Amino acid sequence: MISLLNVPFSVGCKVRSCLAYTSWLVLLGVLLQPHRSLATDQAAHQGFFDALIQRSTLSSLVRLEGAVATHDGDLQKLEVTYEPKLKIELPYRLRLTTIVRLRGDAVDKLEPGAPDQPEVAPVSRSLSLGDHITFDLRECYLDGTIGRTLLRVGKQQIVWGKADGLKVLDVVNPQSFREFILEDFDKSRLPLWAVNAEIPLAAVMLQLVWIPENTYHDLPTSNATFAFTSPLLVPPRQPGVRVDLRNTERPGPLLLNSDIGARLSAFWRGWDFTVNYLYHYDDLPVLFRELSLTPSGPLATITPRYKRTHLVGGTFSNALGKFVVRGEVGFSFGRFFSTEDPTLANGVIKTNEFASVLGLDWSGIEETFMSVQFFQSVLTERPPGVFRDQCERVITALVRRNFLHDRLVAELLWLQSQNRGDGLVRSKIRYELRSSVTIWGGADVFYGDKQGLFGEFTQQTRVVFGLEWVF
Amino acid sequence: MSKFITLSTAALACSVALSGVLGLVTPTGPAANVLLPSGEEIVQHINARDEGQTASSTLLMELIDRRGEKLVRKTRTFRKYYAAEKRTAIFYVLPKNVEGTAFLTFHYLEEKRDDVQWLYLPSLRKVRRISAADRGEAFLGTDFTYDDMKRESKVSLTDYAWKTLSEDSIDGHRCYMLEGIPVNRDIAKELGYGRVVSWVDTEIWMVRKTDFWDVRGEPLKSSFVRDIRPVQGIWTAHELEAHNHKTGHHTVFTFSDVDYGSKIDDDLFTERTLLRGL
Repeated sequence: MISLLNVPFSVGCKVRSCLAYTSWLVLLGVLLQPHRSLATDQAAHQGFFDALIQRSTLSSLVRLEGAVATHDGDLQKLEVTYEPKLKIELPYRLRLTTIVRLRGDAVDKLEPGAPDQPEVAPVSRSLSLGDHITFDLRECYLDGTIGRTLLRVGKQQIVWGKADGLKVLDVVNPQSFREFILEDFDKSRLPLWAVNAEIPLAAVMLQLVWIPENTYHDLPTSNATFAFTSPLLVPPRQPGVRVDLRNTERPGPLLLNSDIGARLSAFWRGWDFTVNYLYHYDDLPVLFRELSLTPSGPLATITPRYKRTHLVGGTFSNALGKFVVRGEVGFSFGRFFSTEDPTLANGVIKTNEFASVLGLDWSGIEETFMSVQFFQSVLTERPPGVFRDQCERVITALVRRNFLHDRLVAELLWLQSQNRGDGLVRSKIRYELRSSVTIWGGADVFYGDKQGLFGEFTQQTRVVFGLEWVF
Repeated sequence: MSKFITLSTAALACSVALSGVLGLVTPTGPAANVLLPSGEEIVQHINARDEGQTASSTLLMELIDRRGEKLVRKTRTFRKYYAAEKRTAIFYVLPKNVEGTAFLTFHYLEEKRDDVQWLYLPSLRKVRRISAADRGEAFLGTDFTYDDMKRESKVSLTDYAWKTLSEDSIDGHRCYMLEGIPVNRDIAKELGYGRVVSWVDTEIWMVRKTDFWDVRGEPLKSSFVRDIRPVQGIWTAHELEAHNHKTGHHTVFTFSDVDYGSKIDDDLFTERTLLRGL
């Protein structure tokens, strides 16, 4: 833990992040202008700060978490997180919410060194304080109303969909894969600068989203604990072919390359429905390939590029007695996939994808919750040279039971790929020591085919332990 | 306040008179010589109490185990009656690790229709549909059940056969002792109670104490209603306590900032308010 404290302070190229924070401070000043106009003497200044404090609520979270790999007993992480959340009630029924995160990891294996985060827009990159500590502006948004329309403007998470742990429509925000999918989505999702409006239209709610930020999945570097190796995510290198990996090409002008989305939601005869549309950049880069013959042999020049797609889908859910049925579907028009087919000049192929999740929850036993989900992703045509199957299926099952008046919660989650038989079993026991202190322990067990999405991490099977204090 | 006492006394007089005319009740116990209103009449009085079209309050929940270890939760709660349903929204304020958690429930007044319930968990950032809990299931880990909470200070005429046992007093307040037996075994299992005996204040028609037995006839828990005082003309309990005799666990609910007068916007009972918080 001492190493967390004795690290050199190096800010790097994160000036734009600071500009973002500054802009919010300026905005805050403007919004509190009626008070500032009184600031002609010290008493008035005092009044301004008193008013600010009275309108503010600060809550903080401190989390200590460790993980030990079972195959060699090495620490995967030993992490301290401090996450304050500040809410300020402003004039005109506006509210500013800011969440920052200071995270230190004594082990530094999940994100070795201070990664450049090329996938993340400069305005949203982490501030690295040495190799072990990062500082993030997690969220910073202003809530307001215009008539009955709710507006949220700023850095935020926008979550769509009804599935747990599987994503079909929950793709508005990209996510960090520093711990693959083991980190809670709330923590791994990368908040984006966005304008989010919710407009009531009779019995229907219309949500409009505009995201003028080009941030994509934050992928682990090749020396990280959870670096991707599965051919599902990383195309295998061809024997005898040299590879020249170019820098990722990011989309051009921000306004022209914004993501936009809309969602209609309604409650009708006991059913919750949504219809969703998102015009967005796929958060995984497409690896465009250019083959050439050089004096030293064949050369593949790989250029990662982000490509756009239209996503149309919907969700539904209803409670039928002790069962809850829920589902989501999404159709992506023209997604790109990397292919090993040498006849395709640029190494990518474009096809449509239909993805769906059907979930069934059951709470027929007191204090017990059970859930199963069936996920399916189908490509509308069989692309040659693509490692994934035309139809990929994942099944999940969850059992959770509360004990001691909800003070103790035990949970078991199982995810398995039906195509390759690999999977992940997660168990966790959480105990509420005090009203504000929770401790937990558990295990994340990966198994199966190393070429699979889960099986690639069999060496990363681990036990975890942690403590969280909120105040 | 005197207005309510007068009304209650008049109602009592009416009901006693009615009982006398119909000759329905043969009371037992210490007040055996007095004609008492029937169980059904008492229940009707309880359920006729004004609860206000809307209500909001701050609820402090203290969950105390047999060793005295206490967990504290604080919520803001809102309730509004509509033509076909009662809508309630509960927003957690404390502790900070569950702050933002929120429940929205549509309780349909039609007895056979299942309630509709949504839960917002900040850790998921999603509002999800949940099945309406079993009526006899513990409410959020407390010693009250979902049915206890749904009915607020009212009691069911259809679930129980009610019988007036006698008169007694609680903290100096004259009460009728009212016995309820579930109308059949299925209802008893659903509620988790085989028998209940309530002490009903004869003046304000509020239950001041209830003893509960489980379906096997063993003492299960006792609940106490305290600090009853009028708020904007409506008699309101500010403290509820339930002791589980089997586990030694008990729960104390303390209500504050009770308000029946303020307008509650319909928007409050929507998914988007659950998600964004108060």
